[in-house]
Amino acid sequence: MNSFFYQTLYQVKQAYLSLQQKPGFVFSVVTTLGITLGALLCVLTLAYVMLIKPLPYPDQDRLYRVEHQLISNENKVDGRAFTYPNLMHLYKNQTTFSESVLSYFDAAVLTSSTDEPMVTISFVTPQWFDIFATKMALGRPFESSEQVNTYNPVAILSYQTWQAEFAGKDNILDEKIKFSGKSYRVIGVTAQQNIELPLAGPGYKTQIYVPWDFNPTSDKQRLAWGNDYSGLSFIGKIKPELAATFSATQMNQTLTNLVNDNWQNQVASEEFFKGWGIRLEVSTLKSFIVADGEKSVYLLILGALGLVLIACTNIANLFVSRTAERQQQLAIRAAVGASKAQLFRTIMAEIGIIMLLSIVVAQIFTFIGFSILTYYLGDFLPRIDELNLNSFSVIASIGLLVLLTFFFSHLCRKMINYRSLNSTLQSSGKGSGIQVSKKVRNILISSQIAIATSLVFINIVLYKDANALVEQPLGYETENIMAVVLSLANIERDSRAQKLTELKLKLNNVPKIIDVSQGMRPSIFSTTALTDDATTKRYTASGKDVDERYFEMINQVIIEGDNFSAADIKDDNRVAIINDVFAQLVSPNGSAIGMKFNNGLRVIGVVKSIHIPGREYVAARFYMPASLARNMLLIKLKPGQELSRTELITSLKEVSPSLSLFSFSSLTDYKNERLFAPMTTAITTVVLAILTLFLSGLGLYGILSYSSQMRRFEIGTRLAIGAKGKDIVTLVFRDNSGAMVSGIIISLLVLLGLYLGFRDSLIEYVSIELIPLYMMTLALITLISLFACYMPLRQYINKPAIHSLRGSD
Amino acid sequence: MSQAILEMKNISKVFETEELETHALKGISFSVNKGDYVSISGPSGCGKSTLLSIMGLLDVSTGGEYLIEGINVTDLTLDQAAEVRNAKIGFIFQSFNLIDELSVFDNVALPLRYHSDKPSNQVIKERVTACLEKVALSHRISHKPNQLSGGQQQRVAIARALVAEPAVLLVDEPTGNLDSKSGDLVMEVLEKLNESGTTICMVTHDPRYADMAKTKIQLLDGTILQAPKAKLAG
Ligand SMILES: Nc1ncnc2c1ncn2[C@@H]1O[C@H](COP(=O)(O)OP(=O)(O)OP(=O)(O)O)[C@@H](O)[C@H]1O
Ligand SMILES: [Mg+2]
Repeated sequence: MNSFFYQTLYQVKQAYLSLQQKPGFVFSVVTTLGITLGALLCVLTLAYVMLIKPLPYPDQDRLYRVEHQLISNENKVDGRAFTYPNLMHLYKNQTTFSESVLSYFDAAVLTSSTDEPMVTISFVTPQWFDIFATKMALGRPFESSEQVNTYNPVAILSYQTWQAEFAGKDNILDEKIKFSGKSYRVIGVTAQQNIELPLAGPGYKTQIYVPWDFNPTSDKQRLAWGNDYSGLSFIGKIKPELAATFSATQMNQTLTNLVNDNWQNQVASEEFFKGWGIRLEVSTLKSFIVADGEKSVYLLILGALGLVLIACTNIANLFVSRTAERQQQLAIRAAVGASKAQLFRTIMAEIGIIMLLSIVVAQIFTFIGFSILTYYLGDFLPRIDELNLNSFSVIASIGLLVLLTFFFSHLCRKMINYRSLNSTLQSSGKGSGIQVSKKVRNILISSQIAIATSLVFINIVLYKDANALVEQPLGYETENIMAVVLSLANIERDSRAQKLTELKLKLNNVPKIIDVSQGMRPSIFSTTALTDDATTKRYTASGKDVDERYFEMINQVIIEGDNFSAADIKDDNRVAIINDVFAQLVSPNGSAIGMKFNNGLRVIGVVKSIHIPGREYVAARFYMPASLARNMLLIKLKPGQELSRTELITSLKEVSPSLSLFSFSSLTDYKNERLFAPMTTAITTVVLAILTLFLSGLGLYGILSYSSQMRRFEIGTRLAIGAKGKDIVTLVFRDNSGAMVSGIIISLLVLLGLYLGFRDSLIEYVSIELIPLYMMTLALITLISLFACYMPLRQYINKPAIHSLRGSD
Repeated sequence: MSQAILEMKNISKVFETEELETHALKGISFSVNKGDYVSISGPSGCGKSTLLSIMGLLDVSTGGEYLIEGINVTDLTLDQAAEVRNAKIGFIFQSFNLIDELSVFDNVALPLRYHSDKPSNQVIKERVTACLEKVALSHRISHKPNQLSGGQQQRVAIARALVAEPAVLLVDEPTGNLDSKSGDLVMEVLEKLNESGTTICMVTHDPRYADMAKTKIQLLDGTILQAPKAKLAG
C-alpha cells in the first residue's frame, strides 16, 4: 500500500515534469476542456437547481398549488384562474391542507416617497410567513391580527426595499407608507437571506407585503362567481397523514367537489352557465415554479453536451498524437523493464493532471456562466438566483474528472502495442509500437461530424424559428410613441375624466408632441367571453379599450367600416371594432359589420390584425371605446425628439398634484423587451453554431493533419511515382469519405432519436423546410471537412516531392 | 548526342537554411545514353542523393539546364514534373518505399493508375504480371509488403519502377538495407534488365556493384571527380 503510494507519487511527479516541457499542449487542452466543461457544469447545476433541488422551505414536498379551471359546456377549459368567491370558499372550508396561503400580486406607485417609485406589492394571508419560513430583520410577520377580514392596515418591507427606498434607516418601524390612496403602518422588514420563489412569474420579487384584505379586487368582483382573475393564487401544505397516501386524482376530486358543488348552487339561476363546471387540480409547488423552464434547460444541456463531446474528440486526437510522439520515451521505459500496467499509470498520471487542471479552470468558467445566466435569463427562468457552486457541482466535477481521465487513458492505452514497443528501439524510425489505428481515426472523424452536423442543424432550426419571431412585421408602429400609465388613486372618481382631458390638452400643446391617445398600449389585451346575439354562439376574444386617435397613431389599418368617433368616446357608446381574425370567425362569408354581442357591443369596423412582439399566434380581438377617465395614454413625439420622465411629471403635477406616474416607457422598449427571449435564442444559436463549426473544424484539421503526417512517406512515394497534387487530394478525400458518410448517417439517427424521444415538444419545429436546412448543414460541414482534409496536404503537394520523402531513405 | 536520354548542363544545387548555405552540387554536367548503366559513387554527403533527386525531378536545381529526351525540363510545374516522372522515370529507393496497406499487385500497379493514358484493368493486370515475372515474384502477388523479406520487397519496388516502361531507372543505394545475399540477387535483376535494354542510373557505395556499371561517375563535394568512360557533355 505504502509502496503503491510512493510509486503513484513518483508517476505524478514524472508526469508533471514531462508536461512542463509542453506548455502549448497543456494550454490547448486545458482551455478547450475548461471552457466547454465550464458550460456543461453551469447548465447541469442550473438543471439541478431548477429540476431536482428541493425548495428551500420546511416540508417542501408537502407544498402544492391549486389551479382553478372553468369548464365550459363543451367540456373545454375556458379559464385557468380563480373566481374570487370560489377562492374564499376553498380557503375557508378545505380540510386537505394543514395550512394554506392566499396571495395576490400587484404593483403600485409608492406615493409616500418623494420620487414616487413603482413597487411590487403582494397581498398575502399570514400563513405566507410560516409556509415560506420567512425570517425577519426587524419587527414581526403577519399574525392572527392580520387574518382574513381583520382589515388591519399594516405592511412589511422586503430587505431590498428597506435598503433601496428607505436607505435602511433604523426607525422604519411604525412609519407610514402610502400607495393606491391608502396608508399602511410598517410593522416589519424581512431578512436578507430569505429566498422568495417567483410565484408571479420569473423575476418577480415582492417589495412590500400587505394583508390579503386590501387586495385590489373590487367589492363587486368579490361577489362575482363567473369572473376569474389571474392574480389570485392558492398554495397549501397538505396534512402529513394525507401526504403518506397521496393521490393527486383523489385530492383533485375532493377539492373539486368542495368548490364545484357550492358553485353550482350559486350560479344555478344563470342561463349562461348551464352545463358549465369548476375543476380544481393540484400540482407540486416545485413543478409549478419550473413550468416551461424545463424545455430551455434540456436545450441548454444538449448544447453544452454537444460542445463537450466535440471538445473531447479534439482532445482525444491531441492525446493520441502526444502518445505517438512519446513512443521513443515509452519504448525506453519498456526496455528498462516497465510493465504494461506501469506504462499505463505513467500515461494516466499525465492525463489525470491535465484533467484536474481543466476541471479547476472549468470552475472559473462555471462561475462566469452563473453570472451570465443570472444576468440574461434571471427574468425568464425560475430559481436562477439560487445558482451557486454547491455540493452538486462539486460531485459533478469529480465525476467528470474521473470519467474523462479513464476515458482518455484507456484510449491511449489501446494505441500501444506493448509487444512491438521493444522493437521500436532497434528498427529506429518507422516503428509500429504506437500507431493511431485507422479505426480510432475514423471513429474520431465520424463522431466529430455526427456531433457537429446534429448540433449545427438543431441550432439552425432554432435560429430560424427565433429569427422569424424577431423579424415578424408587427402591423403597427412603435417609433416615437411613448406609453404612459397614471396612478389615479388620489383623485376623486368624479373628477378623473376632467383631469385627464385637461392633461391631454396640456400635452397636445407641447411643441414636440404630435398627438395624444387615451388607452392601453398595443400589445396588451384581456380575455373576455362574448356571445353573438343572433346565433347565441360563444366566443373567447381578447379585448381592450382605445380612443378615436389610437388606430391612426399606431398606423393600424381599418379595412372595413368606421373608426370610433369622438362622440363614441365621449358618450361611451356600445360600439366595437374587431380584427380580421375575429371577423372571419363570426361571419366567414359576409361582413361582420352590424353584428351585436350579448353585452350590447355593435361592430362598426374591422381592422387588420397586429402581431404581439414575440408571438406568432393572433387571437380574435375586439376594441371598444375607452372611458375619458382611463388612466393610460399613448404619446406620439416628433421624430428625433425625446420626452423625459421629469418633463412628464411636471405636466402631471401642473394639472393636479395628486396625479402620479405609474409607468413610462417607449413602445420600442416594450417591443424589445418582448423580443428579448427570441433575440437571445437567435444570438445564442448563432454563437453555438459558429463555435461548433469552429471547434469541429479545428478537430477535424487536427485529426487529418496528424494522419497525413503519418502518411507522409506514402504521399512522397506516390508523388515520386508520378501522382499529381490533385491525385493525392482525391486519394485522401476518398479515404476519409467513409468516416464522413457514417458521421452523417449517425447524425440522422441522432436527430431521428431526438425526434422520437421528444416528439411532443419538437413537433412544432418539424416541417418540410427542414430538408433544405439539413442539406445546408451538410454542405457546410462537408465544406469544412474538405477544407480540413486539404489544408494539411498543402505542405506536401505544393513542394517538390523530395520534401515528403526526405528522411525515408 | 541524339541518343542521350538524360542531359545535365552545369547543374548546381544550393540548400539554404537560416544561417547556412550548403552547396550540394557545383556545376554538374554529364549525359546518360540509351541502354547505359551508370553508377554514381562517392563519400557520404558528397551529393549523390541530391543529384539523383534532381535527375528524377523530385527536386529542382538552383542552376543549370536539364533535358530528358532532348526536352528541357528545368522549369516544369509540379504537375508537369509528376507527369514526366510517371512516363519517363522509374525510381528504386534504398528503403523500398512500398505502401503497407496495398498488396504487392496494387503496389506494382500504382504508376499505371496515375498514368495519363488511363490503361484498362486488363492492360494493368498483364503489365503487372509481366513485371513481377521479371523479378521472379509472381507467386507473391496478393501478399502485403510487410509479409515479404527485404530482398523481396526491393524486387517488388523494381517491378513497380518498371511497370510504366520508363526511359530510365534511377536507383539509390538499392542494397543498403539488405544483406549481401539478397543484395546480390537484386543486382542480378538490375543487370539482367540492363542487358535487355533498360537504361539504369544507380547510386552505390559498394565498389563491387559500381564496377558492374558501364559508366562510372565519382562525386566529391558536389563535383564530378572523374568519369573515365563517361561521355562528358559540353
Ligand atoms: N534539405 C537539405 N537542407 C540542407 N542541406 C541538405 C539538405 N539535403 C541535403 N543537404 C546537404 O547536401 C549535401 C549532400 O547531401 P546528399 O544527401 O546528396 O549526400 P549523399 O551523397 O547522398 O550522402 P549519403 O551517402 O550519406 O547518402 C550534404 O552536405 C547534406 O548535408
Ligand atoms: Mg544518399
